[in-house]
Amino acid sequence: MTSAPVAVSAPRIELAAARDIVPVAASVVPFALVIGSAMREIGVSGGVGVLGGGALYAGSAHLAAVALLGAGAELVMILAAVAVINARLLVYGAALEPLFRGQPRWFRWLGPHFLVDQTYALATARDDLDEPGRFRRYWLVAGLVLGAFWVTAMAVGMALGAAIPASSPLNFTATAVIIALLAPRLRARPQVLVAAVAAAVATTFSSLPNGLGLGAGLAAGIVAGGLIEVRRR
Amino acid sequence: MSAVVLLASSVVTWLLRVGFIVIFPARRLPTGFRRVLDHAAVAALAALLATALTREGGPGWLLTPSPVLVAAVAAGLVAWHTRRMGLTVVVAVSVLWVAQLLT
Repeated sequence: MTSAPVAVSAPRIELAAARDIVPVAASVVPFALVIGSAMREIGVSGGVGVLGGGALYAGSAHLAAVALLGAGAELVMILAAVAVINARLLVYGAALEPLFRGQPRWFRWLGPHFLVDQTYALATARDDLDEPGRFRRYWLVAGLVLGAFWVTAMAVGMALGAAIPASSPLNFTATAVIIALLAPRLRARPQVLVAAVAAAVATTFSSLPNGLGLGAGLAAGIVAGGLIEVRRR
Repeated sequence: MSAVVLLASSVVTWLLRVGFIVIFPARRLPTGFRRVLDHAAVAALAALLATALTREGGPGWLLTPSPVLVAAVAAGLVAWHTRRMGLTVVVAVSVLWVAQLLT
């Protein structure tokens, strides 16, 4: 019996995942450093901070929770803020749900832990993830690599504390990732219109607390997309 | 207290993540609603970008020339033409750094 040499020549989805995620993971390092530094400032212990970073796996909500905690906010207030900031993950989950069908139970419950803006955008940008095993391997590699960078950088941020500058050109890397994920999608008029509406509404309501402006922009963009769909038919 | 806050925040966030995947699978949602979700990625990324640029340059970020706006436009052009993530990030940070030195 000889085994067919199919696996050798087949494209390695793990490598593709690593290629997609490493630039993203490197680019969120400055953000994780800032969060680590902020946690050190309010006296969060190293173990709690690092484990919390891996468990929460969501930067904006993490930073908001730390800031509110430092300001002495009640737990309920902090959780409300986290829920509002991360409400968009509900929408991402709905959009990715077809890829989580036909998966083992453990993956359906635990895999979504790696759902963030960047992994969602990367997965929707690929058209070769319909096969369940393939998607699962792509998603786990991307999520674990991103998590490793994220948690390590947060630990370094906690160790360095106030030595991390709150503002530097490097902090722009997270925004640059968003631009890199968005710009290639703006090749047809409907997408440009959706983006313009979402950006305009998010800017208009940016003074609202807890990422409500972001949520308003997302909702407005989706509604605009819906109106475009209706007019097409 | 910080451990409780981070743990509870993690649970809330995880519930949002699995909400439409396992708790109430999105395939039970109306078809029209699901089709509209195709636009969610572009809407979310544009809203995230606008929020970040507003934080840097205020609500008038699009109309006021600033190093951040120049860097964002440069990054957008590189990303649109090359689709290369690493190159886009390097160009964005380099242009921002130079533009800040010049202003």
